[in-house]
Amino acid sequence: MAEETSDRTFWGRLASWGPYHAMMRLATASPRRQFVVLAAFPILWILTQHLGPMLQMLRVSLTDAYPVAPGVEQHFTLENYARFFGDSIFWMPFFRTLIFAGVFTFCTLIITYPVAYFLARHVSRKNQMLFLLLLLIPFWVGEIVRTYAIMILLGNTGAVNLALKTLGLIDRPIPFMYTSFSMGVGIVYLTALYMLLPLYSALEKLPKSMNEAAADLGAGAWTRFRRVSLPLTIEGISSGCTLVFLISTGFYATPVLLGGPSTTVFAETIAGFFHVAGDEWPTGAAFATIMFMAALIITTVFQKLMNALRKGEKK
Amino acid sequence: MNDRVELFRGNRIFLSCVYWAFVLYVFVPLILMVLMGFKDSKFIGFPIRSWTLEWYTGVFADAEVLSTFGYSVAIAVLSTLISVIVGTWIAVLLEGRKFTGRGVTFGLTVLPALVPGIISAIAFRIYARYLGIEPGMGAIVWAHAVHNVPFVVLVVMARLSTLPKSQIEAARDLGADPLIAFARITLPYLVPAILGASIFCLLLSFDDFVRSFFLGGYEPTLPVLIFAKLRSGMSPEINAIATVALILTAVIGVWAERFTRRMNKES
Repeated sequence: MAEETSDRTFWGRLASWGPYHAMMRLATASPRRQFVVLAAFPILWILTQHLGPMLQMLRVSLTDAYPVAPGVEQHFTLENYARFFGDSIFWMPFFRTLIFAGVFTFCTLIITYPVAYFLARHVSRKNQMLFLLLLLIPFWVGEIVRTYAIMILLGNTGAVNLALKTLGLIDRPIPFMYTSFSMGVGIVYLTALYMLLPLYSALEKLPKSMNEAAADLGAGAWTRFRRVSLPLTIEGISSGCTLVFLISTGFYATPVLLGGPSTTVFAETIAGFFHVAGDEWPTGAAFATIMFMAALIITTVFQKLMNALRKGEKK
Repeated sequence: MNDRVELFRGNRIFLSCVYWAFVLYVFVPLILMVLMGFKDSKFIGFPIRSWTLEWYTGVFADAEVLSTFGYSVAIAVLSTLISVIVGTWIAVLLEGRKFTGRGVTFGLTVLPALVPGIISAIAFRIYARYLGIEPGMGAIVWAHAVHNVPFVVLVVMARLSTLPKSQIEAARDLGADPLIAFARITLPYLVPAILGASIFCLLLSFDDFVRSFFLGGYEPTLPVLIFAKLRSGMSPEINAIATVALILTAVIGVWAERFTRRMNKES
């Protein structure tokens, strides 16, 4: 008996091991049951871990107290949402965040498009990965470390001010820090990769012959860009912008470190409700829900618009 | 032909200038930060007149910083283990299978990656309270694990889509049950993708600030420690800590990039 099993593999032994065999027979009795066994855990995980937190946030945002103290009853209320519209100290940062996110997304697009274009069209296949990898290295570094690097770059005794002073362009340091400018530099720095990669993969798919044909027909550089490259990369632009916009609205540490009192973003407002006593949680949850809904609506409308634009160009 | 070369040259020079300017933009801040860690003064700022190694040696002598490093690495490893197992399972369910609600399932799968940082942190904080998870290591590990699952799913699904179906069918014909066919055919084929995704998750977790900040207890992770120190003022000590974190992540990132490329080429 021992000899018989020893020359069989681990898997063979497992397959003929009684309990395992019985379990497998039970699990694969029908294609339907096999699917249920495969799907049960993932579906459960997605519902409880991916959807659960969002739903719980929504539920808390509709109650008057959370966490609930023993002996106190929890009531349904819309008060938390009403609070948002009642005070400019709440909705000002909200609109500021959306405007900043929009502007920073646009800046990221303008900055990374030529870079992606250069990589995809003017670098030989062999070197493309090398050139791209060079850009990826800084993006492995975390949010906080890169934000700090921008603080050193733009501070009053920072590198930019020193350079300008040495060149004799300024006498006194320019206060870049704690403004929307420093925040923009930081956020573009943090999000550029999420724009660059979709743009690069869209441009890379574009056949070179198209541009050459356009050039042969007498189209100048600007016309070629506007009539050939741009319409054919709308998909990349659309997904890059969506990603960058969503990420930009969610930054907390970067605005805290790089921004000032006049650039408070909604993330700071939301965070404020979680630093203090527990009964402010429902308001924080409501504000986070408002932010998420607004970001979702804006990106959905944006994608629909870009889709319509693409279909229009094709006609 | 020469005309055409002439025509594209102007663009090329302009675009390569933009590219190198962008390289400067992404590298210069980090290089300056590393340099500032060598400054022989308590005050951050240029010019640097005298240099010292004191700040860097100080990092390795500081017990608080070292234990924070260990804490962050432990969180990264544990959360990655969970993400990789769950993510691979979901990918196997979703790839190449048609069933009612697949679209919704896929949408919900990628949801954690799309929720803006602060909102995801708040939602996790509320849900942790609901589940009775106290702020601290367990809560951070859980939040990082959930947040990183979508990245594993996407990477593994991409690899899975290139697996020849005939291999699985052959194994099944030879009498292997689905689990053994998975373990002996699918899993070995997925190794490069799983390794690549793991390293990506490790880095995401190690670098994460917002979730660690809102779900952490008294013990900070490395980004949270740097943030706390920054709020009480800049100092070359922070540069030294940040530089060590930077080198660690950059080296692992580049190595993973090359490693997965080689693995993909071989198979």
